[in-house]
Amino acid sequence: MNAWLWCGTTFLGLGLPPVIWGVASGPLSRRVLAQNTGSTVVALAFLLLAQGYARPSYTDLSLVLSLLGPVGTLVCVRLLADDLSAGASRWSTAVTALCVAASLAVTAAVCAAAAPGRPMVKLLLIGALVALGNVIAARALSVGVLEEADGTR
Amino acid sequence: MVSEDLVVSVCLVLVAASATVAVAVREPVRQALVLAVLGLALAALFTVLQAPDVALSQLAVGSVLTPLLILLSVRKVRRRGHPTGDEAQR
Amino acid sequence: MTIRMRRWVMGTGAIGLAALFVAAFMRLPRFGGDRHPYGDRATDAALTRHTANVVSSINFDLRAFDTLGEESILFAAVLGTVVLLRQTREEDRVPPRSAAVDPWVRRYALAALPVALVVGLYVVAHGQLSPGGGFQGGVIVATAVHLLYIGVDYRALERIRPVALYEVGDAVGEAAYLLVGAAALIGGSAFLANTLLPYGTFNTLTSGGVVPLLNLAVGIEVACAVVVLVSRFLDQAVEITDAASDAEGAGTR
Repeated sequence: MNAWLWCGTTFLGLGLPPVIWGVASGPLSRRVLAQNTGSTVVALAFLLLAQGYARPSYTDLSLVLSLLGPVGTLVCVRLLADDLSAGASRWSTAVTALCVAASLAVTAAVCAAAAPGRPMVKLLLIGALVALGNVIAARALSVGVLEEADGTR
Repeated sequence: MVSEDLVVSVCLVLVAASATVAVAVREPVRQALVLAVLGLALAALFTVLQAPDVALSQLAVGSVLTPLLILLSVRKVRRRGHPTGDEAQR
Repeated sequence: MTIRMRRWVMGTGAIGLAALFVAAFMRLPRFGGDRHPYGDRATDAALTRHTANVVSSINFDLRAFDTLGEESILFAAVLGTVVLLRQTREEDRVPPRSAAVDPWVRRYALAALPVALVVGLYVVAHGQLSPGGGFQGGVIVATAVHLLYIGVDYRALERIRPVALYEVGDAVGEAAYLLVGAAALIGGSAFLANTLLPYGTFNTLTSGGVVPLLNLAVGIEVACAVVVLVSRFLDQAVEITDAASDAEGAGTR
């Protein structure tokens, strides 16, 4: 059990329980935020596990989740605009900043361990997609809600 | 030295927790969100059990399609309850 | 048949099933462990046919017939959904109004759409090399198409999604799988045997013989099937309303 696997386990063990608690309780905007955070946490954990098991093909899982996770959140925001009109969660900025910081840290760590060339470019792309997807989905959650409340329906 | 079973155990506990929450949350809209998180936990479990193809299938289906189909059904049922022309949007 | 008699019949059947189940369970090997006779043979067979992803080899080569059944299940399920969710005489179609989406979300959706399409095609094409394959890649492609609905508008989605085309694509994918299987018959071997194409070099895109072809067929079928499935749900949720309640309700159309 090497250092990468320890990192991946801690990521999952510390990151997912707050996500499960956040999606189980509280107002709807916090639940959607928790789901968004969950997909980021698992995508980053997959990057660490790929390094830990020495199987670079596992980064494909991260790539797919970095694209589909935000789409899932955007689906919820789109179809639940009526229920989300109560306003954004107050955790939104803090959690998004934490997710972006975590993406940067994990991407830097796995890129440092990867071979230069195509593998590193792929890892950089995955890290960028994870961070960007999280930010856009969080923005859709907070801004998109206000727009529906003000604009015409 | 701690074996790799620790990762598997952590993922199993997470799957058990999110599945229990999925059953405990009753309202369909909130349940759709919990099911998305359960899908993520299952994908992590399949990965640490060295089954990445299954994990990829779980991610593909559970992260977008399951919430989408559930929420569309909820929207249809709600519209039936409030039959006005204003509801026919998006 | 009374309820009591039905219970007796079910009880008899259940006892027989339980006896067979316990007998089979006693002979199962233990959970986990190092000895996997079937796994060893499957891995050897996959490597002989130069397929790097053993799971894809099992799905599309060693047990290709089972995958045909699974693909047909999806096909039949989507067919059933189309029949159930079609617009009936008591329903009307009301065109939806545009929705306001945040410009950054719109830009992200328009930028992520080609990226997701390419990733989906990548997953389909590399099914015989890395985790993935036709099913996973097909679902990713279908999700990418719906980014237009989520990020932009229902009408934008309708423009790039002529549903009839996707229905045809679904049938073409299903038929292609059968035709590839039948082509092996023409060559003189069994249905779905991996004798059509050369095995190729290990760990390249054209390795594995007929596995990439079947991957492509399944990818087309699954992508089109999922698009058709979601289109029916979207139609019902967004466009179709009950005509009678509409006439009683707002009164304007």
